[in-house]
Amino acid sequence: MQKGDRFIPNRSLMDIDRAHGLLTNRTAPFNATSSFNEAYRQKLIENLTLDSQGRPFKIMVFRGSPKSSQKPIRFVDELRQEVASIFDKDCKQTPYRCIPKGEKRVLDAPKLRNDYYANIMSWGKNNILAVALGPELYLWNSEDQRVHKLLQVPGGNDWPTSVTWSEDARTLAVGYMCSSLQLWDVESSKLIRNLEGHSGRIASTAWNGRILTSGSRDKSIINHDVRAANNLASCIKRHADEVCGLKWSTVGNRLASGGNENLLYIWEASKMSSSKFLHRLSDHCAAVKALAWCPYQYNVLASGGGLSDGCIKIWNTQKGVCINSIETKAQICGLEWNRHHKEILSGHGYSIRENQNKLCLWKYPSMTKVGELGNHKSRIINLCQSPDGITVISAGADETLRFWDVFGPPTAGNLMVSDLQGLLSFRTSLLR
Amino acid sequence: MASRSVAKDIITLRGSAAIVSEFFGYAANSILYNRGVYPEESFAKVKKYGLPMLLTQDEGVKSFISNLTAQLSEWLEAGKLQRVVLVIMSKASNEVLERWNFSIETDGEVVEKGVSREKSDKEIMREIQAIMRQIASSITYLPCLDEPFSCPHTSFGHGSSSSAGGFIVSLPLDVLFTGVFDVLAYTDTDVAVPFTWIESDPKLIANPQMVKLHSFDTKIHKVDTLVSYKNDEWDEQ
Repeated sequence: MQKGDRFIPNRSLMDIDRAHGLLTNRTAPFNATSSFNEAYRQKLIENLTLDSQGRPFKIMVFRGSPKSSQKPIRFVDELRQEVASIFDKDCKQTPYRCIPKGEKRVLDAPKLRNDYYANIMSWGKNNILAVALGPELYLWNSEDQRVHKLLQVPGGNDWPTSVTWSEDARTLAVGYMCSSLQLWDVESSKLIRNLEGHSGRIASTAWNGRILTSGSRDKSIINHDVRAANNLASCIKRHADEVCGLKWSTVGNRLASGGNENLLYIWEASKMSSSKFLHRLSDHCAAVKALAWCPYQYNVLASGGGLSDGCIKIWNTQKGVCINSIETKAQICGLEWNRHHKEILSGHGYSIRENQNKLCLWKYPSMTKVGELGNHKSRIINLCQSPDGITVISAGADETLRFWDVFGPPTAGNLMVSDLQGLLSFRTSLLR
Repeated sequence: MASRSVAKDIITLRGSAAIVSEFFGYAANSILYNRGVYPEESFAKVKKYGLPMLLTQDEGVKSFISNLTAQLSEWLEAGKLQRVVLVIMSKASNEVLERWNFSIETDGEVVEKGVSREKSDKEIMREIQAIMRQIASSITYLPCLDEPFSCPHTSFGHGSSSSAGGFIVSLPLDVLFTGVFDVLAYTDTDVAVPFTWIESDPKLIANPQMVKLHSFDTKIHKVDTLVSYKNDEWDEQ
């Protein structure tokens, strides 16, 4: 035992100026309620001051990898408390907003095909939901709930396998089982154009301005310029199996494509024509159908794997690094980000263990599970969200479309990319 | 006075950086263990510095710390690291409860000219040993970090909404989760922020109590240790 273990001040470790200020300032006691000004003043001091050795410095915090596969004791207990209070009847007590237990609405969807790979619904900015039920394609107006049948494929051996509204919701792209791709003008209910190029079914499509990208069972991805006479802008043959997931990033510079061979490719828009991918990500062990770009961080992508995988993976597409991966233990058919609160919703199909036929809501970026929803009697096939970002629809193999008001209440000016700057310094914002 | 001639070893800049970053790894583990940030069962004993040191067996924490110390080592070699701070925060309120501050003074001549120094490895080890002992005994005076709702058992259910095999996530680059502990690095201003780090505020404690621990010196890097903690609220009443 050392003698003289008294506290010996060490100048280099002390903030002399601040200490002096605190000691000599008699005007007001340290007041917690003026913490905003205090914190701001402190920030200024920090930024303008040199340390006691006269060296300027900068401070960084390490965020290198997931810290633990186990939660520390205290965290678990707080989380349990948080979760327990969500299911409390009195929502006012919860630190978290109320997630509805039941659907807002259920629509019958007879003949909805039980096909994991198809993407048969799309909710346009015009508030019209386009959904393919078997060989028929319907338009449902969410404002007046009127239904209108847009098309029906005769014959019985062809049907729509992918439906996507253009960004301005003036054109509807429909991909078919027998490899045709059509553009429809919905206002006039007319077929505008047939786009050639594929030799297999088109299960995934995505718009990027005037470019329509289609992914097919023939393993290729085609970028169509819909305004040009010769529509085929580029054809990319990289995937080794059906391209079942396609999503353009929010700012439109990157494309994520998921394949049935379990690969996820990230493409740079300007470099696609040379078939040069930006990243080739092979972490999933099953088909990658569910893809969703984060609306508040333009580099971040979420992907979901099929039955043998069941993982939601969060990617930094700038570096091609997986920054988080959580096991849901169930087939993932869709992912939707909440634009109003920092969360992501996953839709599930088959599972041997948990989460079968459910929708799961995860807090972001912690990826802790906030809750589960879902009354589907069989697996969920597709998810889509409303233009106002409040409602999510799940299409199930039980031939229902269920509407969930799960993302609200809306925040004034939701967390889109333009708020990115404020979000990058996450330290002060507690977004709930 | 008869002087015992202690055999001195040559310390290079790289060697010193390795010693300091390794020290930090073990110190961080010790703090996480002693302050109960992770359950005791998740640690295993190893021999280091002539003491039984506890190291986490959790893969996530392991890789977190090893990635971290690799970066620290790089900065130490460049002579650009000024401080490393391990911050412990309340998950519920994000309030900083404890700050373990390791200040580093680097011999500029070694960095500039690539010379080496001499010091006995054993002596460095003894100095580090003294610090590790102090960290372990710090629980005698540091306030308890338990939050009001803590339960004695550590199991958490399957199927309940709290687990689903989740990670405590820290994400690189952009928006991040401030977990129960954080590691800050104070560097020279000309250091580029690596992609697994982001600029941060110092996460200070208001009106802290401070205790200075021993320091160690490799003759190239001198490390001072200080722990500051939030005033125990019960005292005020």
